[in-house]
Amino acid sequence: MKYKLVRTTKVNMQYKKAPTVESVLAEETVKALREITNHIQDAVFKDIPTKEGMVTIIHSNSLVEKRTLQEVVLVPLCNHIHQIHQLATPVDLKEFKGIIEKIGGGHTLLYFHQTHQLLSLNTYSAPTRTITDTATESTVIGPQDAFTESLDTNISLVRRRIRNPMLKNEDRILGTESNFRISILYIEDLVNKENLDTLKQRIDKVHYPIFTDISMLMQSIEDNPLSPFPQYYMSVRPDSISQYLLDGRIVVFMDNSQAAIVGPTSFFEMFISIEDYYNRWTMASLLRMLRFFGFFLTIMITPTYISALVFHPELLPYELLLNLQESRSNVPLPPLIEVLFIELIIEVLREAGSRMPTKVGQTIGIVGGIVIGTAAVDAGLVSNILIVLVAISALLSFLPPIFLMSNTSRFVRYIFIFSAGFFGMYGQMLAFAWLFAHLLSLNSLGTPYMTPFIPRKATDLLDSIVRFPTAYLKNRKGISRAQKK
Amino acid sequence: MSTHTKKILNGYHVVFLAQSAMIGSGILTLPRELSSVGYSQTFLPILFGVFASLTLWPMVWLNLKYPNENLFRINEILLGKGLGKILNVLIILQFTLFIAGIINKYMHLIQSTALPEQTITKPVLLFLLLLIYIVNGGIKSIARFCMLTFFLTIGIFYFTYWAVQKGDFSHLFPLFNFNGKELFEAMGKGYLAVLGYGAIMFYFPYIVDQKKAFKHVLTGIWISISLCFITVLISVMYFSEWQLKHIEFSILNLLKSGELSFVERFDIIGVTLWVFLILTTVAVYLWSAKEGIVSLFSKEKKYYIYVLTAIVFLIVRIPFPQEFQDKFFTTVNYIAYFLIVWPSFLSIIYLLRKKQVQP
Repeated sequence: MKYKLVRTTKVNMQYKKAPTVESVLAEETVKALREITNHIQDAVFKDIPTKEGMVTIIHSNSLVEKRTLQEVVLVPLCNHIHQIHQLATPVDLKEFKGIIEKIGGGHTLLYFHQTHQLLSLNTYSAPTRTITDTATESTVIGPQDAFTESLDTNISLVRRRIRNPMLKNEDRILGTESNFRISILYIEDLVNKENLDTLKQRIDKVHYPIFTDISMLMQSIEDNPLSPFPQYYMSVRPDSISQYLLDGRIVVFMDNSQAAIVGPTSFFEMFISIEDYYNRWTMASLLRMLRFFGFFLTIMITPTYISALVFHPELLPYELLLNLQESRSNVPLPPLIEVLFIELIIEVLREAGSRMPTKVGQTIGIVGGIVIGTAAVDAGLVSNILIVLVAISALLSFLPPIFLMSNTSRFVRYIFIFSAGFFGMYGQMLAFAWLFAHLLSLNSLGTPYMTPFIPRKATDLLDSIVRFPTAYLKNRKGISRAQKK
Repeated sequence: MSTHTKKILNGYHVVFLAQSAMIGSGILTLPRELSSVGYSQTFLPILFGVFASLTLWPMVWLNLKYPNENLFRINEILLGKGLGKILNVLIILQFTLFIAGIINKYMHLIQSTALPEQTITKPVLLFLLLLIYIVNGGIKSIARFCMLTFFLTIGIFYFTYWAVQKGDFSHLFPLFNFNGKELFEAMGKGYLAVLGYGAIMFYFPYIVDQKKAFKHVLTGIWISISLCFITVLISVMYFSEWQLKHIEFSILNLLKSGELSFVERFDIIGVTLWVFLILTTVAVYLWSAKEGIVSLFSKEKKYYIYVLTAIVFLIVRIPFPQEFQDKFFTTVNYIAYFLIVWPSFLSIIYLLRKKQVQP
């Protein structure tokens, strides 16, 4: 700072010696620029004498790394000034908003005093996270890299997997207040144009001040925003995103957001992990079945416990009923309250575990597992059979690879618990009918959410609950309605 | 002239719409309705299938003459506005009562097996809310729901395995030990179980491939007929003639014969799962009734469905004595036969007035 002060005084003295029309004009412009940028506190002004006279460079200190500034601006400016004229883009001096946006976006502005010209160079080099492995969608087999919060890094991770000249990305500026970049990726000769137009239209209609993560954007461009089900696939894995791109889907990235969203998608795809394609087809099929039927089990286990105990004790064989009643003999609560109590405890445990610092988090395991599990049974608050059932259904709810779906399954379970609590098996079946009616009415970018149950193509069935050997999976999915087979 | 030009139903939709509209509450009591002919009832469903195929033909023929109109509009075109509208009101009324009849029958079954300690008010309300939700999705949603229902409920048949095992094959020998009157009675009562394919006349304008619609509906009809046939076949094998006459819901007893180590009474799961089948049937009828009101007022309004459902709820919940209810709903059901033969009359009228009523 001190250095800068000395320099400016020197320059000022120089001007004072021989004040010309140009120098006065330049001085006033710099003053005006300072005023415009006065609320960008880390904006740095530097005057550098060059062959073409004095040049003031302006940049934001936090968005531009010193080395980048040196390489891109200062060295060419002092040695090969013609390079600057070739690379830089001119900026209108009168358009204040544009100037602020440039500085805020990490550009460096160069003001030539003699020619009264303003140029801009992209020097954006804000500190970014390195590429690490994913914590949320980890797999045993397969590449371990995950997206970061930097849009350019993410796109480069995809581009290095798909070396196809048809891979396009279209940028948009979004957020009425925050003005950040999103990028729509697709392969031009594969993507369904109708889907693409729908998505673009929806994105253009979005008016929201700030999106801090892509999941917020996702909620505002869904077909049915009121539904508990996510209608876009969301992933932080470049391999899975690339695979969907090659299937003809559309991917949206957002700056400062780790995940990318994929559309259109289906209910079933929420249960597909990219690892299924790395595993042998036999094991992959088994795991897929587990995840898919696990979803229905997790929403059915505890409600069935309630309806069997409250409404239909005759449903169970005598010995099993005896067992159940024995384990419940000390429990004063009715089954509905008992189930709600223990389900909510699990929910609290999960929430506390995810909010707590990692070092404290281990305690939660001990508190949850031992104290609540065993002690609640001993204290006669819940039956031990219920503890087993709730534990199983909690584990099953974490099977879907998409975390949003796992959350949904937990929410839907409460609907089932209440309907079983009031109307027994009949209520459960009504809730089941509602679930299916709802799923069948959902669309993702205009295509039915329940594919491949309602297959658009017969070959879709080869890659559904059973994952056929790789040789059979050459065709693209019917849901993407790709231009090529 | 017509507002229904959007074609949305493909072949599969049509097959399962026809199939699901037929399988509702009727099949639950089918063996008892047919019991007047005793063990010879086995072949009756096949006869029904032939009848259904024959009566389907004039329906599709008439619809093909007016590819963009449903039966309500065709009535108005062929009979003139006044007479057509009066007839349409009657059809809508019949549908509403028919829906109420189906729900009433099913809810009493639910009350007697699954929810013996509750009144049916709340379960009926919940059912109707779900019904509104499904019908509001439009005919395509209903069709999708029908497809799913078929695959979800077809598994129930597995649980008749024990009944087949315990049954007596010799019951199936055709003895023809009945007279014409008994046959007529059995047909009159039993045919109700396979009504519902007539709804084609209302969703026909939405079908994409209308030329093939006949084939698709026929496929649906024969799927349902074979389900009825299997049900009757197993019932005949499992029950005695006396039982056939006196057990109301014979399917339940078939399911009860199941012996699994972890589920004692599978019939409760079966009966509650049956709600899917009831929902599909009723949804198709409610949607058709709604279309009727739309054609009556020539305006599409959301609240028609709510009004219809409210009426259905009132009919189901009016505290009439059980005997009266039974009689009432049976009479209403018999009127449904009218709808099956009506297209044949209309076809004749069409041929007579061909020149005046060109679409």
